[in-house]
Amino acid sequence: MGQIKFQLPPEEILAPGHFACPGCGGTLTMRYLLKALGRKTVVVIPACCWSVIDGPVPYSAAGVPVFHTAFETAASTACGIKAGLESQGDHETTVVAFAGDGGTFDIGFQALSGAAERNEDFMYICYDNEAYMNTGIQRSSATPFGAWTTTTPAESPKAENKKNMVEILAAHRIPYLATASVAYPDDMIAKIQKAHDIHGFRFIHVFSPCPPGWKFEPEDSIKISRMAIESKVFPLLEIFNGVDYRLSREPAGTPVTDYIKMQGRFRHLGEKQIEQIQTYVDEEWERLVRKLAPEQHLHQPESRVASKAAKVILAKSQSRKGATS
Amino acid sequence: MAKYKYTTVEEMPPLAFSLESTRKIPTGSWRHVRPVYKNKTSPCEVGCPAGEKIPEYFELLRQKRYEEAWYKILEDNPLPGVTGRVCYHPCEGQCNRKPYDEGVAIHNIERFVADQNLRNKKLPRVSESPKSEKVAIIGSGPAGLSCAYQLARKGYHAVIYEADHEPGGMLRYGIPDYRLPKKILDKEIADIESTGVEIRPDSRIGGSVAWSELEKYDAVFVAVGAMRSRKMDVPGEDMKGVFTGVDFLWEINNGDVPKIGRNVLVVGGGNTAIDAARTAVRLGKKATILYRRTRTEMPAVPEEIEEAEKEGVRFEFLVAPVKVTGSKGKVSRIELMRMKLGEPDASGRRKPVPVKGSNFQVAADTIISAIGEEPDLSFLPYSFLKKGVRLFVDDDYSTGVPGIFAGGDAATNPNGTVVNAIRAGKEAATSIDEFLGWRTKSNGTPHEVVRPEDVNTFYFPHESRVKVPRIPVAKSKTGFHEVNKTLSEAQALDEADRCFTCGTCLHCDVCMTFCPDVAISKDESGEYVIDYDHCKGCGICVNECPREAMELVPEGSREEVEEAQQV
Amino acid sequence: MNGKNGNNSGNGGLLHPSVDKVLVIEGTHAASYAVKLARVQVIAAYPITPQTSVVEKLSEIVSQGDLAAKFIKVESEHSAMACCIGSSISGARAFTATSSQGLALMHELLHWAAGSRLPIVMVNVNRAMAPPWSIYVDHNDSLSQRDTGWLQFYAESNQEVMDTVLQAYKIAETVSLPIMINLDAFVLSHTSEPVAIPKQELVDEFLPARKPSFRIDTADPKAFGALIGPDAYMEMRYKLYSAMEDARAVIRDVDSEFAEKFGRSYGGLVEEYCTEDAEIVLMTSATAVSTARIAVDELRSMGFPVGLVKVRAFRPFPVDEIRAIAGRVKKIGIMDRNVSFGATGIIYQETKAVLYNAPVRPPLFGFIAGLGGRDITPETIKEIFSYLLNHDEPESETIWIGLKSKSAKQPEHPLPQNPGGQKKSEGV
Repeated sequence: MGQIKFQLPPEEILAPGHFACPGCGGTLTMRYLLKALGRKTVVVIPACCWSVIDGPVPYSAAGVPVFHTAFETAASTACGIKAGLESQGDHETTVVAFAGDGGTFDIGFQALSGAAERNEDFMYICYDNEAYMNTGIQRSSATPFGAWTTTTPAESPKAENKKNMVEILAAHRIPYLATASVAYPDDMIAKIQKAHDIHGFRFIHVFSPCPPGWKFEPEDSIKISRMAIESKVFPLLEIFNGVDYRLSREPAGTPVTDYIKMQGRFRHLGEKQIEQIQTYVDEEWERLVRKLAPEQHLHQPESRVASKAAKVILAKSQSRKGATS
Repeated sequence: MAKYKYTTVEEMPPLAFSLESTRKIPTGSWRHVRPVYKNKTSPCEVGCPAGEKIPEYFELLRQKRYEEAWYKILEDNPLPGVTGRVCYHPCEGQCNRKPYDEGVAIHNIERFVADQNLRNKKLPRVSESPKSEKVAIIGSGPAGLSCAYQLARKGYHAVIYEADHEPGGMLRYGIPDYRLPKKILDKEIADIESTGVEIRPDSRIGGSVAWSELEKYDAVFVAVGAMRSRKMDVPGEDMKGVFTGVDFLWEINNGDVPKIGRNVLVVGGGNTAIDAARTAVRLGKKATILYRRTRTEMPAVPEEIEEAEKEGVRFEFLVAPVKVTGSKGKVSRIELMRMKLGEPDASGRRKPVPVKGSNFQVAADTIISAIGEEPDLSFLPYSFLKKGVRLFVDDDYSTGVPGIFAGGDAATNPNGTVVNAIRAGKEAATSIDEFLGWRTKSNGTPHEVVRPEDVNTFYFPHESRVKVPRIPVAKSKTGFHEVNKTLSEAQALDEADRCFTCGTCLHCDVCMTFCPDVAISKDESGEYVIDYDHCKGCGICVNECPREAMELVPEGSREEVEEAQQV
Repeated sequence: MNGKNGNNSGNGGLLHPSVDKVLVIEGTHAASYAVKLARVQVIAAYPITPQTSVVEKLSEIVSQGDLAAKFIKVESEHSAMACCIGSSISGARAFTATSSQGLALMHELLHWAAGSRLPIVMVNVNRAMAPPWSIYVDHNDSLSQRDTGWLQFYAESNQEVMDTVLQAYKIAETVSLPIMINLDAFVLSHTSEPVAIPKQELVDEFLPARKPSFRIDTADPKAFGALIGPDAYMEMRYKLYSAMEDARAVIRDVDSEFAEKFGRSYGGLVEEYCTEDAEIVLMTSATAVSTARIAVDELRSMGFPVGLVKVRAFRPFPVDEIRAIAGRVKKIGIMDRNVSFGATGIIYQETKAVLYNAPVRPPLFGFIAGLGGRDITPETIKEIFSYLLNHDEPESETIWIGLKSKSAKQPEHPLPQNPGGQKKSEGV
């Protein structure tokens, strides 16, 4: 056993020199995405941080074709590109819509739902940094309860819970739906590769922290991502055909307060509000657990590159299961 | 910031598409802190008196480079088979894994490495070319052997004068076979001799060899150890049936069987007391240890106490001997007094305080007094400065008499352990080297020691410490077979995998994995290279490093950085 | 082109050897069949009355396997255009159709398509903008998209719908700009006319497979449409502007090539009818042109020196053609089936603009008629001509024809007694 190590596909397609802020989670998401899919990939980017990150004309960081499109059209443009390539006999290239939470949860929601319902054959990655970050931190429907943004100031922070996009998409009964985190790159890459091999609409919701937007030190990006997963704030799971729920990682169940307290966007919250968040997280978790496939509450996606970490997690979960049953 | 290359309208593409990679944009200029790879010191390494480079030899072990691992230990300690068995392993007490789950079984690994090389015919490396100076060492215990070995490695001719017939000192005559088989000791002493160390047995200074003979040497290291048991200072302790721990163990280790009764009382709480009690058990006797404090204050190694318990040794805590009584000069009873714990003393342990009127008597046919040892320095001709019963030495092990150095249990500031003696020998060798003018005094750089909170424990799933294999108690208590076994290769590798390897980069790629700026890569030799043209200094690599082998340092002025990038 | 000799925009070419068959079909279906002949590869559309029959017919054609296209039945016009943009940047030939509100919803992406220099072809069935709800024709929907960088054509007949779609792909793929072909709601969209369907092999010769000069290609990865600084945005706009300028010649050339192959021509950007000796011309577009032809014929038979100018291409605007006509005639009336609130009819405005710097500037009369499907009949046209014949200059900037109003009285403009009336009326 020993140390958890990540064995990622070695090729680096993403170039340095991009315009991401230091410690950007969305950029790691892109890096892993490109590693997972290789060069036969086209990325569609609507208005989001990545409209800037990829670099100004005449530069590009992605190393694969990128089409910048309007805010609400990630899904529909991707769908058109896929159809265009198919119509010209290209059945190999993977088309990826790569959108932020605003472009996914809010303005791009209609096109996304349409593409999901039509089971269009492309992959949709939402790198969720829980607000409109590129425009300067305004609330989106992905912003969690209690968070400060420039449009939900500390005196009246966001009063609503985060939209449950996973359930909405599950209700579309798409063939593959997964959540992932930049803190678990091997899990993310395995899921992207699994998605690659599935035909139809595939959605991966990636928890991608934003140091300036959430107000934490950039060096803590991964730590915060990990805490979100381990505190059940953001469960790692897969849903097949919208109904078959599999948990990818059993969270340690650390208190949300550890996660909350690391971020300036929650600084104004009192103990009561944090308790309220904890209660909500617990309830959501219970609701999720009830949906898990009965025989297999835990399912680790097989990585193409055997991952030690994945095996550790799987072995641990199995031994835990063995102990309880 | 780079100047973007724009062309005229005639040369521009029909729509805005990219022409080149962002690699041309030196986003490293955004950085105000700079990540660097910097190995730090592991706490185990600091905790090891001999200064063994534990993370380094662990990594060699994990790569199954057992011989290189062995050589790595030998740089600091020529007796890994010995210390792997009998060391009280303070390294493990410092282990950063201890507060996380259980410390790593470092000394079992050390033993594994030593035992992997038992049949090794290659000599330990001699690091430097021969020198003309000769150094005499008095005593072939761990301090003497260590010093002679280190001097030999430095190219000196080292001669050990040993009073006994066989070399090893306390290692041979103080530690029973079931803990340290003689063949292990013999092998490691033979290895030491193979480096050119000369051992002269039956050569007691002040006895068969005159002190004056030492004058032909360029330096002397006194390492005679503490081979004499301290007196209990109670009436009747000279009676027949009262032994000292040192004498009792010496006889056993010399192949004799001392005449002891069925009911053996051992006074003391150190390793000698435990050894004596467990030896008595092996001779088929009932053994009880009497200790004036409680179990937690016992200086003996905890595992040894547990082993003794398993083998049926009884413990009586908070009692102290008052007098020994008997008839015809032979012991029959011991009078004891109850104690209670008072304020902590200089050692930090709570001091035993007598409970008035609590005296009571216990029947005994054998009493072994093992309350501590002291050196016999009667052979020294000069009026060397002493402190208490020991020879006073400075931090560099010099005695005040030019060219005469001393260390181990004979000198001041010992803690009566093998590994401290090894350290004394090693450090004294350095001092002698300096004294002889081959080396200038160096001020050691301060250690930056990795703290438990510096370790990113996410990367280390909880795993329990290896269970050291041992022979069954029924077998162990009836003979002098070695009780603890060497770890199997699989066990050793698994246990080594538990090691955080604090402060030493293992090229685990975590830094590379999490770099959002794709600014870390590996060169042909497998070393990491940070692309400072593009690293924005987010610090994720440093924060995520599982073992604190990186750090962030402040960036120079912007001008400096830009200048550096132009080069 | 001389209208009398060159009026091929009707059904005159039905017997041409290029014709495969003649179908009596609606304008929407003429568009659908043209899409099939153009071998479009991706269709994305959302239904809206009165465009629906374009989509329905295409669904039929695609599902019967008569056209090997991907037909994406999207959830909005916005997504339809996004799909077209996506498929076009991938190198495919893309098509969509919409109308009115749907076109307005697409507005953002019309900019995106043009800015991306994508040769998308769209059929827009001109329908009035709500509220109040109307499903009938006027041109405010498409003219509101004037500045998006799309070429705009207005068709007079179902045949012209078909032929312009075929021409449009050729033009669009030559200049790398998208093209919108407009046809009047119901008047064309749901009115059956005989349409000559050209032979596929001739269409293939005329319109070979698209060869994009740039496209998404994983072997040559590029990022399209990224952020650009003030130091280069203007140049990119200038390129788009130039492409539109260049499109004028391309439109003329393609129309000539088309005429050679298929026997039908539409005059390029404008078509003139009886203008060579006309003193008064009426400019208008789309189906009103057909109606105007009847009125012009009638008035000319009575001896009035009138003519007709059909504005076929609104973008690029036919600057040279209009200036040339202005140099020959005494008055120009412009009938707009649209209105720019706070200004005038849009073609009127544009015509004024191109003539301001012209050497000869006859008086211009701006008429607004036929909004929201209000019928434009030969009587309507005659009324306009009558006004033109009776006035040396307009009484107001916009003259609303057929407006039902108590306060604003609708002046009667009886035709002058003398058909040479112009000169005579001067003396009145």
